[in-house]
Amino acid sequence: MSERLARAALTRLTEPGDVRMAGLVADLGAEVVYEHLRNERDLGGVLTEVASRLRGLDPARDLDDASRQGIRFVVPGDPEWPPSLADLETAEPLNRRGGAPIGLWVRGRLRVDEACARSVAVVGSRSATSYGAGVAGALAAEVAREGVAVVSGAAFGIDQAAHRGALAARGPTVAVLACGPERAYPAAHKQLLDYIAEEGVVVSELPPGCAPTRLRFLSRNRLIAALSTGTVVVEAAVRSGALNTANWATRLHRVLMGVPGPVTSAPSEGVHELIRSGKAALVTEGRHVLELASPAGSFTLGHQRGETRPLDGLEEQELRVLDALPVVHGVSVASLARTAALGEAAVRESLTILRDAGLAEAVDGVWRIGKAHAS
Amino acid sequence: MSHATAHTISLQGAHGHLIDVQADLSDGTVQTTMVGRPDTSISEARDRCRAAVTNSGYTWPNTKRVTVLLSPADLRKSGPHFDLAIAVAVLGAGGTFKPEATRGTAFIGELTLDGRLRAVPGVLPMAMAAAAAGLTCVIVPDCQVEEAVLVPDLMVLGVRSLQQVVAILNDHPVPDAPPVASLPTLPGITWRGESRLSDLDMADVQGMPDARYAVEVASAGGHHLMLSGPKGAGKTTLAERIPGLLPDLTLEQALELTCIHSVAGTLPAGKPVLTRPPFRAPHHSATRASVVGGGTGRTRPGEISQALHGVLFLDEFPLFQGDIIESFRQPLESAEITIARGEETATYPARTMFVLAANPCPCGDFHPASRDHRCTCTEVQRRRYRGRLSGPITDRIDITRHIEPVRPHELNDPLARPESTQEIRTRVVGARDRQAARYAGTDWRLNSDVPGPALRERWPLSGEAQRELDRWLYTGRLTHRGSTRVHRLAWTVADLLGVEQPGLREVETAVQLRTGEPLALEALRREVLG
Repeated sequence: MSERLARAALTRLTEPGDVRMAGLVADLGAEVVYEHLRNERDLGGVLTEVASRLRGLDPARDLDDASRQGIRFVVPGDPEWPPSLADLETAEPLNRRGGAPIGLWVRGRLRVDEACARSVAVVGSRSATSYGAGVAGALAAEVAREGVAVVSGAAFGIDQAAHRGALAARGPTVAVLACGPERAYPAAHKQLLDYIAEEGVVVSELPPGCAPTRLRFLSRNRLIAALSTGTVVVEAAVRSGALNTANWATRLHRVLMGVPGPVTSAPSEGVHELIRSGKAALVTEGRHVLELASPAGSFTLGHQRGETRPLDGLEEQELRVLDALPVVHGVSVASLARTAALGEAAVRESLTILRDAGLAEAVDGVWRIGKAHAS
Repeated sequence: MSHATAHTISLQGAHGHLIDVQADLSDGTVQTTMVGRPDTSISEARDRCRAAVTNSGYTWPNTKRVTVLLSPADLRKSGPHFDLAIAVAVLGAGGTFKPEATRGTAFIGELTLDGRLRAVPGVLPMAMAAAAAGLTCVIVPDCQVEEAVLVPDLMVLGVRSLQQVVAILNDHPVPDAPPVASLPTLPGITWRGESRLSDLDMADVQGMPDARYAVEVASAGGHHLMLSGPKGAGKTTLAERIPGLLPDLTLEQALELTCIHSVAGTLPAGKPVLTRPPFRAPHHSATRASVVGGGTGRTRPGEISQALHGVLFLDEFPLFQGDIIESFRQPLESAEITIARGEETATYPARTMFVLAANPCPCGDFHPASRDHRCTCTEVQRRRYRGRLSGPITDRIDITRHIEPVRPHELNDPLARPESTQEIRTRVVGARDRQAARYAGTDWRLNSDVPGPALRERWPLSGEAQRELDRWLYTGRLTHRGSTRVHRLAWTVADLLGVEQPGLREVETAVQLRTGEPLALEALRREVLG
């Protein structure tokens, strides 16, 4: 039996994110583990759990059926296997789940490794507001336009807005599911998922036919974080699943970013906490994300500066004279010197500079504010 | 003793009062006097009637003292349509027909010097008043028969000349006469043609999911709406599509609206009854009289009343004259408008959806949420502009929405399928049916009609939702008026969802709608694809 068939079989036997299985496969290799299980070796209790699933397992037929549905199975060593998943092997488990996936069931046009070479996860609450969805869509579009893939979970709320933003920008997008890659979950997203499969790629640890469960969503979140160079959280309430993805991003040493919302908004509370505690960097638009998630130095933003105003660059002495200048009726140099508490020579010097800048004007030998000083 | 009576109707606002026109012929100084507070247009009737009577081949009592009394005498009366009743009364007093022939009939129409009739504004409300006063027949200029026949249980006779009227009263064969020209329609200040509006569809509006939902809720419950946002964001685009979301008027509403347009003289020829909700969009340079009502001479209902049961769209609201803005307070609160002028007071219905649009600044380019706007206004100009939206007005607006220009990713979204007007209207009609069923047996029809106390007493929120609403009231997030308006909105949100009683979720959505906060996507239901 080949490694690929063994891994396909194992994805049906175990739950994704099972740390023991990941360890066994890493230590013994998938073929050995599968052989042992078939020969009824206990392997530290794993057999008892999966025995009921062993019967009737036919990985070769599974792969055939899958390929008829346009689904391929990608394993480590394949060119399409994304190298970033290796980080999961060494990361500490979270909620007792972790480890690299045994294989990926993939549906879609894009190659997973290519899409995820430059990618950003955009995740958030399913109960998002129109504000969050709007920002997530705009941000995803901006990122995707630069060819950076938007990775998300195809859920209601922020996830769907992120995918659609990327699709609208004709950019790459990756949907990571907690069920078989052919399934539409939530059902209302069938059209969205089909579209992603056509233009981007849909990925899952679970083989076709598997239904989503609560724990599978937690395991799925680690893949979203691992497949991307950074994770952006838009609108997550204090107990949102998006915070689980954020935790994984931190654990995997990925860049964690958060988009703030109104400070009174409950759906943004979780994000605000991430930013307040220093775990996430505050981002408000795609450029910020690109700067943080791109390889160091490859995308840098200049400092944000306000507009240039006429008073910029004036020395203190000139500013004092300017403050002393009347608006309507001009005054003499001597009078300005008194008001500004400066010597007459210094006043004359400053007036020349101010006049050249249009900030002062002389009318009949007396001085007043010039037209450029409108504000 | 020779005297006779003919009935006619005097209009005050859109309400008509029965007037008895009595003519008395007696010996004495030869003259014709008119008593009973006529205005100049009626005093002139004396000369018109005399000429019309003579030129129709009858004799004016030239050797008698003619006294015409319009009673009740305390009402101030105006309008040229008294002509016909005056002429009939005088002819009756002179014995041209039997005095009892005029019993139970109202005479409405202006006379020309050759004895023909002219159309007059306000025939429908006059006919309604005649029926209400117990009359069984009205005689009106023949081109206006189709207005008057809308009134049930009333015989309507259309006539073209005084001779025809006399023939009818004598039961003689009616002679022929050239037809009466219909009333020249005064074009209302409608911004764009009504016909264009019917072609507009919500399916063409991209993005702005929460503004679309706000429009849906406003249409379902008849709530007032304020759309703010930079120019080109789509405020007008949305507002113009609101009439399409509203169902046809009920017969009662149609009559009420047609009455208003009959009085205003804006009833389109060949369209006896208006069945679609009107859309009025007066320009911000319009005068107070044209927007609110009034005018010199005859009091006319303004745009507010002409938008009855429809939409009054006030674009660039802060640019309207200050006193016009302030005069919106009454209609926003009590759905009617009172015009007081001297001793005359006219009250017109103003039950309409106010849709206000405001730019963020005079130039319209300021985006409060964006760094790279191209606004050229100074901060002082912006402040002054915003200051015109006075607190008392904004507090009376139920729904506030800020619209940002549609973003490129929304325009290019391959999966977006904005709902069509028809899809949304189905829900709006469903919600309106639920309201009609709930308020059956009351004077109210929509959630926005129901006064606060009745709402709290008979149609409360769920206990949990009411506690949350109270909390917001105590913490100052809502004013008292605001909490009543949220209560009404919560019912509309529930009616759109088909929920039996508004709960926490509906109240939260209602508060978000009122305060302009972003809406929870779940509230939009159709959050996913389109």
